[in-house]
Amino acid sequence: MDISIRIAGEAGQGLVAVGNLLVGAAAATGLQVFSGKSYMSRIRGGLNWCDLRFADHELSGLNERQHILLALNETALDILREHALPDAVILLDGKEERPQTLTVDFTGITKQSGGADIMGNTVAAGTIWGMLKYPLEFLENFLQQEFAGRDEIIAKNLACAVAGYQKGLTLPMNLAVPQPVQAPASVTTGAAMIGLAAAVSGVKFATAYPMTPGTATLNWLAAAADRYGIVVEQAEDEIAAVNMICGAVYAGIPSMTTTSGGGFALMAEGLALAGMMELPIFVLVAQRPGPATGMPTRTAQEDLKFAINAGHGEFLRTVYAPGTHQQCYDLTGIALATAHRFQVPALMLTDQYLQDAEKNMMIPSGEYQPIDRGLVDGDPETYVRYADSPDGVSPRAIPGHGVAVVADSDEHDEAGHLSEDFAVRIRQQEKRLRKNAGLLESFIMPEIYGSGDADIALVCWGSTHGACREYVDAMNAGGTGKYAMIHFTQLWPLPGDRLKPLLERPRRLIVVEGNFTGQFRALLREIGISREMSGVNRFDGLPITAEYLTAEVK
Amino acid sequence: MIAIAKADTQPSWCPGCGNYSILKVLREVLSTGAVELDKLVLVSGIGQAAKMPHNIPVSVFNGLHGRALPAAMGIKIANHELEVAIFSGDGDMYGEGGNHFLHSLRRNIGIKVFVHNNQVYGLTKGQASPTSDIGFITAVQTHGQKLQPINPLAIAIIEECSFVARSFSGEPEHLKQMMLAAFAHRGGMALVDILQPCVSFNHTNTFKWYKDRVKPIPADHDCHDRMKALELALRWGDEIPIGILYKGTRKSYESDNEVLAGGTLVENYRNQPVKK
Repeated sequence: MDISIRIAGEAGQGLVAVGNLLVGAAAATGLQVFSGKSYMSRIRGGLNWCDLRFADHELSGLNERQHILLALNETALDILREHALPDAVILLDGKEERPQTLTVDFTGITKQSGGADIMGNTVAAGTIWGMLKYPLEFLENFLQQEFAGRDEIIAKNLACAVAGYQKGLTLPMNLAVPQPVQAPASVTTGAAMIGLAAAVSGVKFATAYPMTPGTATLNWLAAAADRYGIVVEQAEDEIAAVNMICGAVYAGIPSMTTTSGGGFALMAEGLALAGMMELPIFVLVAQRPGPATGMPTRTAQEDLKFAINAGHGEFLRTVYAPGTHQQCYDLTGIALATAHRFQVPALMLTDQYLQDAEKNMMIPSGEYQPIDRGLVDGDPETYVRYADSPDGVSPRAIPGHGVAVVADSDEHDEAGHLSEDFAVRIRQQEKRLRKNAGLLESFIMPEIYGSGDADIALVCWGSTHGACREYVDAMNAGGTGKYAMIHFTQLWPLPGDRLKPLLERPRRLIVVEGNFTGQFRALLREIGISREMSGVNRFDGLPITAEYLTAEVK
Repeated sequence: MIAIAKADTQPSWCPGCGNYSILKVLREVLSTGAVELDKLVLVSGIGQAAKMPHNIPVSVFNGLHGRALPAAMGIKIANHELEVAIFSGDGDMYGEGGNHFLHSLRRNIGIKVFVHNNQVYGLTKGQASPTSDIGFITAVQTHGQKLQPINPLAIAIIEECSFVARSFSGEPEHLKQMMLAAFAHRGGMALVDILQPCVSFNHTNTFKWYKDRVKPIPADHDCHDRMKALELALRWGDEIPIGILYKGTRKSYESDNEVLAGGTLVENYRNQPVKK
């Protein structure tokens, strides 16, 4: 059983604060929690919302329609009411009566409780908490924790929470509510799990030009920088960011940058530099709808082909796309380790939805476990940086440790010096591209979820994991056929020979992705999957949900 | 296959190029022991000047056009005990890399930046550079350059760069002193703009043109006086001052960074981070 709540209003009204209070309190109560933000690219006004979902089973995504809509202004009510469930409870902040709407004067209650205007958020959170009839103490405890050390603020917030809660208890409410199940109390985001994994894996330098929605990970790293000994630098542009991490990796430390499609476009030449110099840089590309500035605060999966092809010339890279919070953590470590093992750049594709999505889970300990950088000392007499080798991986030394390390963006000889010799070119290009065999061996096979001998398989990648899984569960429970999900977390390079048997088996194959053109479907064609495939695509800027799949899978 | 290796030699510059004298002086400077060679990384972008690091047997990062500074910054942050020095041209540093130049000055990071400034594009064969004088005629600027030239020294002084100097490839002893002073400098970024003739593509600012105009800055110049330094930087034409124009007193990036205070990132890599 689960319940979905949407809190909507204009930017700057504090709807995120209401959401945070409820998420924190729900997780502390032991409910399973999932929440997401949908906002416009502005600081004030507009229409933003925050979706919360509480359940007695683990959650992996959001709902399209909600059981409760809390509208903090009339615009939010007018626009979003028809998108709530038909029997939804609709709450409106204010004094004006509206049909089929529970109007609550949060401002009035706040004043009566002696709270400052901003504490209307606490009243609103308290009201919903009361309607759900969850124990008040969890909300109170969470407030005390949030404002620890500021006794006066705590006292006022508690008064507001209690007043809101009492109001909520009086409101008519016929919805069934999930009961706590001792779910983990800690809540995290996709952005934070990437940051934590990077810090734990030994990233010592992170630099970026701020760009939504990648910035959330940069912010996490900046907050953790002193604790983990990471230098975080705001670059003057994305070109600087990617070249800085190339320099830092050359000098011996794992380094990363965060960006979105537009910023990544500026990094394309730097990515090629990492390809030519064989530098294991790590780039997080948090996608949003394009082209150009597109929809800066919305979500999309439009940069898959761009990530695979970005940069001029031919060079190797690995591309990953986590689908869950746990995968955000695991794949960050894998991406860094694989990049260093093969001395190739690693890219990770997330999106606004996954970056911002909050979920409760057992958060990894944060214990420092730096990856093996694969460094050698080198003999000063004989060391060359780009020595030919059977697997294409050359012994990598770093400057300042006894040998000269020469790296060039031009084609270069084994010693790293610029060369225009044709034979040198052939040897070095073959050496670099030979590493592909190792990369293919290290490929992470897709997860198959649901029926082992499915009639219908949804092929998906990255953040659509939760929605597809939920859809498959619902369909398998419905008994109308056997469904499965085939979810990819590694998108490049793809071993066609190993994937083919897997993808040939299901009677129908439907590729689900957040773009117009079906980029992954085209990519599967490219690696030799010639069978019939259909697509479910969403490109309005909102995340794919299980309900969306129910409507669109035909 | 055509075996081109025999012809693929360094340097690739024209006879009489100012780069030769700069390379010769750099070799002299390095032979003095002023810089620990194992700790030296030479960084460059793209251009004729940017090929110079390949002629010195030390660690080299010859990166992308215009991007020497961010690459050098990454190297310096990873291991701030390295001596990181850039040798690149005016197009690379002030044109393609102009944004990085501006913001690296703001950071005052301890990188030694030697700019081979010949006021023209060499590698692309003769177009105007950001420092070309107004009226300079090229195959692209057919009516003569109309854009105001960049004044890198004035910009550096305005941003309180910690070491700002100018020299001339035709005054090797002066250049040597400037290089030694820049390498000895410990307060942050050092900029040495080195005027040099381009014998193939700049027939205006020739060896003689520079030789007749460069004039050492008087010994009594107070290089901590920002306004006087700026006044020197604005002089151009009949008389071009060479020497140390300015020394700022801002902290360097690496000495003012809370994380780097605990040692270099590369040496601390395996150590458990301190829990705070």
